[in-house]
Amino acid sequence: MYSAVVSDEDRLDRNQTRNVVRRSLEFAAPYRTTVWKAIAYVTIVTLCTVAGPVLVLVATDHGLLDPNAKVLNLCVIAYLVVVGVSYIASRLQYLAINQAGEGFLRDLRVRVFDRLQAQSMAFFDRNKAGVLVARMTADIESMAELIQWGLLQFVSALLLLAVTLVVMAATSWQLLLAVMLILPVVIAASVRFQRQSHQAYLDVRDKVGQNLSTLQESIAGVRVIQAYHREGEQTRRFFGTNRSLYGSHLHAVRISVWYFGFIEFVGVFAVALMVGVGGWLAHRGSVSEGTVVAFVLLLSNLFDPIQQLSQLYNTVQSAGASLHKLYGIIDAEPDVGEHPQAVALPRTGVLEAHDLSFRYQGAERRALAHVALRIEPGERLALVGPTGAGKSTLAKLLSRLYDPTDGFVTFGDIDLRVASLASLRERVVVVPQEGFLFGGTVLDNIRVARPDATDDEVAAALASIGVLERFEELPEGLRTEVRERGSRLSSGERQLVSLARAALVDPAVLVLDEATSNLDPGTEAVVERALEYLMSGRTVIVVAHRLSTVRRADRIAVVDHARLVEYGSHDELMTLGGRYAALTEAWLKAQPVAPPSADPT
Amino acid sequence: MSTPVASTRAGWRLLWSVLRRQRRGLIVGVLVGLAWSAGKVAVPRLTRSAVDRAVIGNGSLLFWSGLIAIAAVIAGVFAGWRRLVAFRESRLTETMLREQIFEHIMRLHVGYHDRTQTGQLMSRASSDLLQIQGFVVMIPITTSQLAMVVAVVVVLLTSQPLLALVALAPLPLVNLLAQRFSRSIHPAVLAVQAEQAQLATVVEESVAGVRVVKGFGAEGVQAAKLRVEADDIQRESLQAARIRSNFLPALDLLPNLGLIAVLGIGGHRVLDGTMSLGQMIEFLQYIALLVYPLRNLGMTVAFAQRAAAALLRVDEVLSAVPEVVDPAVPQRLPEQRPNGAVHFADVRFGYDPAAPVLDGFELDIAPGTSVALVGETASGKSTVARLLARFYDVQAGSVSIDGVDVRSLTLGDLRRAVGIVFEDTFLFNDSVSGNIAFARPDAALADIESAARLAGAHDFITALPEGYDTQIGERGFSLSGGQRQRIAIARAILADPRVLVLDDATSAVDPSKEHEIREAMTTVMEGRTTIVIAHRAGTIALADRVVLVDGGRVAASGTHDELLASSSRYREVLAALEAEVDDDDLPTVKGVG
Repeated sequence: MYSAVVSDEDRLDRNQTRNVVRRSLEFAAPYRTTVWKAIAYVTIVTLCTVAGPVLVLVATDHGLLDPNAKVLNLCVIAYLVVVGVSYIASRLQYLAINQAGEGFLRDLRVRVFDRLQAQSMAFFDRNKAGVLVARMTADIESMAELIQWGLLQFVSALLLLAVTLVVMAATSWQLLLAVMLILPVVIAASVRFQRQSHQAYLDVRDKVGQNLSTLQESIAGVRVIQAYHREGEQTRRFFGTNRSLYGSHLHAVRISVWYFGFIEFVGVFAVALMVGVGGWLAHRGSVSEGTVVAFVLLLSNLFDPIQQLSQLYNTVQSAGASLHKLYGIIDAEPDVGEHPQAVALPRTGVLEAHDLSFRYQGAERRALAHVALRIEPGERLALVGPTGAGKSTLAKLLSRLYDPTDGFVTFGDIDLRVASLASLRERVVVVPQEGFLFGGTVLDNIRVARPDATDDEVAAALASIGVLERFEELPEGLRTEVRERGSRLSSGERQLVSLARAALVDPAVLVLDEATSNLDPGTEAVVERALEYLMSGRTVIVVAHRLSTVRRADRIAVVDHARLVEYGSHDELMTLGGRYAALTEAWLKAQPVAPPSADPT
Repeated sequence: MSTPVASTRAGWRLLWSVLRRQRRGLIVGVLVGLAWSAGKVAVPRLTRSAVDRAVIGNGSLLFWSGLIAIAAVIAGVFAGWRRLVAFRESRLTETMLREQIFEHIMRLHVGYHDRTQTGQLMSRASSDLLQIQGFVVMIPITTSQLAMVVAVVVVLLTSQPLLALVALAPLPLVNLLAQRFSRSIHPAVLAVQAEQAQLATVVEESVAGVRVVKGFGAEGVQAAKLRVEADDIQRESLQAARIRSNFLPALDLLPNLGLIAVLGIGGHRVLDGTMSLGQMIEFLQYIALLVYPLRNLGMTVAFAQRAAAALLRVDEVLSAVPEVVDPAVPQRLPEQRPNGAVHFADVRFGYDPAAPVLDGFELDIAPGTSVALVGETASGKSTVARLLARFYDVQAGSVSIDGVDVRSLTLGDLRRAVGIVFEDTFLFNDSVSGNIAFARPDAALADIESAARLAGAHDFITALPEGYDTQIGERGFSLSGGQRQRIAIARAILADPRVLVLDDATSAVDPSKEHEIREAMTTVMEGRTTIVIAHRAGTIALADRVVLVDGGRVAASGTHDELLASSSRYREVLAALEAEVDDDDLPTVKGVG
């Protein structure tokens, strides 16, 4: 609930507001009929709300002060009818407004998500994951609140205010003038309160955030805290943020205390004013006693909506800000899109980089400059080089996770940018460093790679990398839920799932980013073996961190400072005695314990 | 586990003990609330007299409207005051309970934290406390509203009993409906939240797993999942809307039936002359006055039930007993040089006592020497460190440092004597220097720097944007695994422990950087008792002596070369650790094809 509040920099200017309204109307277009219905129901309910006191006025003036039982009875019956109509219309308005609103939100969720998914890797590198998730959750949920009750209240408060003023004006302009003495003060107080409380609210939100993150950090780090015996210190630190949160709460309460006290006072004071001024006017014969009574009863119809509107103001503002951000996502064109005349890639072919250069958005230097490579079908290429030299970037360009800034990549002489995305993902598969799991079963997780694959095909993919048995031994075999407690897969098994996905696609080219951290020794060997099965007969590009991997490659490309500096087989490069030879030596030094031989002597 | 009734009682007892601390504030709140009710109840009565005597009759308008104005001042002042007290006290309850929870959590033993998820403890100290706060805030408000309802009902019944009965008849229904509404909307709202959480999971996994999604072109799969969740949210939200439409219009309109009754019956009485117009207005106003309090009272019941459930959960945390605590009569570590002798004597321990991880574990480490513990995954080698620092207590046998049983030391003394560099490095959201000085916040910058130098961290720290002042941790500058590890080592060094435990300090390190860490560790270990828990072959070389942990006990001990020569089990375990280094026995491309 705290995440949905707007800060001042989020406030929209006139143009942005207009754009948000226009886009919202477009999005609401499918629900046009329902929206009109909702508006009709809200109007009926509002008219009924005002009709009550008006009927009391008529009954008082024409039934009681000028005794007439028939008028009185008619008024009573009319009031009953009004309540009945109001009840039905009120129920219908809830349903209509929610139907339109929830439909609107559903469409928004789907469209924003689809657009997010269409974005390239570069987009996900630029935008923090947390922010993207927040757009799809907190931002949209903040609007749900508005739709469930806010929109209804907003419209009916406005209508009620307007209709009540019209009725008052029609009944007695003199008494309306008296009301007008207080109304501006109430509005001014509400506006002032809205501003102050908004600031206080933002402050509370910040403090809640700080407090929660201290709390979270302390719980997650409790072992370190205890290991260094800093429990006391940490507790004092937490008390500090906790007390400062309390202070912010108190500040917010003090602001509201003045406002709500004042509103309570004005509500009753207005009665005094109506009795005083109304009584005086009645004595002079300018208004009827019934009018005075009606004004006393109508007063709450004036003050309640003003309070509601001032409270809703923030909700509406934050919804506007959320919509603005969401439309921003929907309007962002994906930068790795499908070419209008896309062609399918051939089954196999040479993968070739032609004078590739790449610069990350906003970066000063190129991450890759003038790289040319030719990888024959079935060849194994290891990319080596220091961290940040550009080897991962090269791998991403070769698989079109990014498009190059200059130059191009071809597979079977077809530029990857004109290849259909579907055929590209079938030919070139990137196996990420860590095995990432989605919710669902082992089957679902592997099928991510090819949604139309049958259970047998998935099993065959597992078998092809030699690990089918291992997964069949899980509590519920391939139908084991991977995220359920107790059946969590080890990091090695997660990698195996990742490899099985690639096997299911059966691509011509595999791009591997070798893990830097290690698995437990038991699975490590299984993963290595599965990988070997998977790589056999395919073109392989591996971002290598280990000597053993490099040794197994046919050719090695050494990337340093964004450039391809050495390129050749292990033996060739060792003879060259350059960068690669030096790197190999460093690697060997890092392994001081000699590999144990089976037969120690 | 206790029965639900008994534990609910425990929850209320907790609330009671908290409220007793604040009794003065709460009593003031209730009194202020009563004054407010008096002011509010007076208004319709005054209005009636004003209408009868001054508007229709010839009494003084100024006098009567003046009286109403005075009631206005009373209602305003006390409404504000009541709000102030109610929120101040409830926020205080929340704040103090949160501190109580936090202090307790920090003292709870590691075994408790191993069993409990962070998120659970988080919601105890946040959302559950909000429920309780929501209840406490109602105390002054509810009592004053209750007083008002009683007063109004008494006034109406004494002046016009029959009319009062008819007019009030629909109002208990308001209360009843409000209760039922609150009870049925709550699960519906929870259902919507549950669906929202599921959608969030799909979004999170799509964003976190974007490499897989992009790599396999799985956008369609995720999009289909999202549609299902979006539809579910829509369905549950509409269900909630249906519940609202069943209750809210009725709640709004029921009081009108009372008003109509007053207009109908009261109107005829005015015509008969048995009732004045002012009296009728009084009735109308009183009925209007009752609507909100009755609705609120209905909601309060539901609030109280939710608060009770929250209290129960909070009480469960607070009543967990810390199992590792200071001894009643602590001993001190002897001041001697060299120090840091470690002795594990016939130790038995299991996370599940029925399945011991260590059994008959014997280990003696001379002061200033280093030992590498080698063993398969789950052999218990990491458990050794946990027992030494008393994260857990042994189930049999004893662990001692410089001849003193660790259970006879205060936790402060013990943990100052043992420094652990954990397998998964945890850094706080703080500056680099703040993180290194974690154990000694008052350490001089020179000391921090020399610890960083020893840990081989100084060079990369000075290259950071703001050097030692750079903010790191989850929300700060992101460091590589090796850099984080070296900061953790510096943190341990600055604490200057008698015994240093390095739980595989190289596992998260880029292999090309491994030798740097290793150099740093060699310097650090010099002259200090060190236990290296080796998950990787490379780290073994650091230690003077190697101990093979197997089957819950020390299976072999000696130098690396001695063990290589004498123990076939050692060679096996080592071979498993070396699997990633030695690739000769793996199939090659040709071998498989």
